[in-house]
Amino acid sequence: MPASSERTAVLPGEVALHARPAGAFVKDAARFQSSIAVAANGKRANAKSILEVLGLGATGGTELTLSASGDDAAEAVDHLATLVTELAE
Amino acid sequence: MPGVTTEGGENGYVGLILVSHSASIAEGVAELVAQVAGQEVPIVAIGGASDGSLGTDGGKVLEALRSAAAGPGAVVLMDLGSSVLAVRAAQGELSPAELESVVVADAPLVEGALAAGVTASTGASAPEVAAAAEEARVASKL
Repeated sequence: MPASSERTAVLPGEVALHARPAGAFVKDAARFQSSIAVAANGKRANAKSILEVLGLGATGGTELTLSASGDDAAEAVDHLATLVTELAE
Repeated sequence: MPGVTTEGGENGYVGLILVSHSASIAEGVAELVAQVAGQEVPIVAIGGASDGSLGTDGGKVLEALRSAAAGPGAVVLMDLGSSVLAVRAAQGELSPAELESVVVADAPLVEGALAAGVTASTGASAPEVAAAAEEARVASKL
């Protein structure tokens, strides 16, 4: 039974999850073995797919829910939650 | 030299070859991908006919595919019409070994290149990069 982990992170007020920040997010997500989802605005995206992540349309201040399933699930959500709160334009 | 080449090169990352009727489109997409995916992924932008008008320079396309096949490989994305025909013609000139390392993606150019570039920047193989590009056919924007 793979480990699973979930936590939320809020985008900084001035940073939307648009092209460059989304690229940084997806590149880091891809380093983990776990499958990782990110949800916002009632939508859910594969955190390793730039197009799905962009499709969330998450603007600054949006709360993202990160959930992962796999051996490194806890590290993945912790790492990505930190990344999200530290994103800059 | 066939258009824009980002830093990457001999670093082992699968590259992108972007083929458009317009040099501005090809170079603009390359610029966008480099901004989102980072500078590691080699990108060759090929746009316009040999006289600089709108069109496709089949010689440049073949040269780019050959050069990528000699390195870590590449995924090719194109806009439509003669760009597609030029890529297919160039594929026909490659050896079976070269064809294994240069994968053509059936995907929209801008969205496909973005997905491909980010995936390539993670060290993915050419087939994985092409598959990411092809997801652009179904990814919803709204």
